[in-house]
Amino acid sequence: MMYWISVITESGIFAILALGLDMVWGWCGDFDLAFYGYLALGSYMTMVLTIGKPTPPTEYILGLTLPYPLAIVVADVLVVALAAIIGAVALRNLREIYFAVTTLGAVSALYLVVQVYTPLFDGFNGLFGLINPGQSALNLTYNGYRQFFMVVVLVILAATYLVVQRLSRSPFGRMLRAVREDERAAAAYGRGIFFAKYRAYLFGAALAGLAGGLFAAYISAFNPSAWTPQELLVIYAAILVGGRGNPRGVIVGVFVVYVGFIELTRYLPSPASRPEFAPALRQVLIGLLIILMLRFRPAGIFAERAGQERASREPAPGPVQQAGVGADS
Amino acid sequence: MNGEILRIEKLSKSFGGVTAVRDCTFSVAQGAVLGLIGPNGAGKSTVVDLVSGFGRPDAGQITFAGTPITGKRPDTIARLGLIRTFQTPREWRQLTVLQNVLVARCAFSREALFRTIVRARRIRHDEMADQAKVMEILDRFQLAGLRDVRANDLSGGQKRLLEFARIAAADPRLVILDEPMGGVNPVLGTRIGEAVRHFADEGHTVIVVEHNLPFIERICDEVVVMDTGEVIAQGSFDSLRDNPRVVDAYLGMDQSHE
Repeated sequence: MMYWISVITESGIFAILALGLDMVWGWCGDFDLAFYGYLALGSYMTMVLTIGKPTPPTEYILGLTLPYPLAIVVADVLVVALAAIIGAVALRNLREIYFAVTTLGAVSALYLVVQVYTPLFDGFNGLFGLINPGQSALNLTYNGYRQFFMVVVLVILAATYLVVQRLSRSPFGRMLRAVREDERAAAAYGRGIFFAKYRAYLFGAALAGLAGGLFAAYISAFNPSAWTPQELLVIYAAILVGGRGNPRGVIVGVFVVYVGFIELTRYLPSPASRPEFAPALRQVLIGLLIILMLRFRPAGIFAERAGQERASREPAPGPVQQAGVGADS
Repeated sequence: MNGEILRIEKLSKSFGGVTAVRDCTFSVAQGAVLGLIGPNGAGKSTVVDLVSGFGRPDAGQITFAGTPITGKRPDTIARLGLIRTFQTPREWRQLTVLQNVLVARCAFSREALFRTIVRARRIRHDEMADQAKVMEILDRFQLAGLRDVRANDLSGGQKRLLEFARIAAADPRLVILDEPMGGVNPVLGTRIGEAVRHFADEGHTVIVVEHNLPFIERICDEVVVMDTGEVIAQGSFDSLRDNPRVVDAYLGMDQSHE
């Protein structure tokens, strides 16, 4: 039971991250590799804003004791500020592989700084101590709190979904898809390409930072081994499986990949002499899943909805009256 | 004709050592259909790029409806009411026909991020109003039955019509058509000619870059002829027929080989 609560909570947190990432990759078409860094920074900042002064030899910045929800907000502001810098560089003229490499470089630099520069977040040791914030105030048992926290995550996920879905179906979401499909044509129709992508990027990063803040309380300790930038590829797999560009699909994809794959690998035989076997096989299976999805259902479980206009429920007026027009080409 | 809507003065642009456009000067009268013609490599497409902001001129001035637009960004210029097309149709492929035209139509203020979150009902209301107008336009271009088809799945000719539907929806003051007759069959060609005239009759100004001279003769009030980056003549099609420089630009090469 507690196991499932843990799995669902974690999946819910990653679904929030995935919704943000999908705004950048699914809607705008930019393959960003920095997003796990935003989650990590959100986690670290939430920690240092809540866990109090460090006791030597531990060292980290700030060490405040803000209330947990306020800490998430403050941390997220900093995450968005970092995304504003990375996005300003990467989105201006770089696309496709150049964009991906630039964002990978940015997150790798962040990773190295956090690892090596101990006064920031205590380097390799990382931070700990954000244990069930608010548990005593809520007068809950440990298990009761974990259930409560799962519900909080799911409520935040639902709220996030509603906002993202509203954006997705709005003229804003449609415009971003137009920019993705053909930037020059979008510019020719008056769209500022950079500003359009930039807004979506910052909004997506804010969701990643929010996910980071929740993740901090979920695992209560955070260090470089908790976030390698490669983790993001699993999120990409989840988006691909669920349906790139479709918020509902993204959430389903995350739960399918996390719950499905954690379950699958749990029952795999793992020789005692080879404890690394199951995790390695999990990577292989995720790779296989991506290949199979791309082969048999490239749009994902839920395709990006083509007709997002309300009135498209009306039947289209008869098949095609286009004499002499469609016949060429 | 109420004066000029576009004035181009001494425009120059080089790529590396190659001068694509040199001291190019001409103007376009409000409400006119102007043909921009010339042999391949004459610099027509470069002029279109410079005017629409897709390239920065090395020298010269461009004034659109009284506003200097030299070196401005393409989206800024488009918002002033100057829409251009490209030699190949550039539809938004994964969007439906209806969405393509709605994007062209949509007021930019409706695409604000936070307004979308807090004023969804208002935005939906405005969208519905747009949609009625867009359906009329789709009907005019015989695309109404294809409204929910992804633009990617249209035939080449239908993509051309979609381009015209987008322009009609955007309702620009000046539209620049870059080779609208490329790969188009005669039946569709007639429709495109009608569409261009229709724009002009509604008070829009049109510049057409085209190699198809009968088409230019049929629809244009005035023609600008370019050759090797320079404007070599401007006037009515008939007045240019016997202009030796124009004849030379089009036929000179062939004659020298004979």
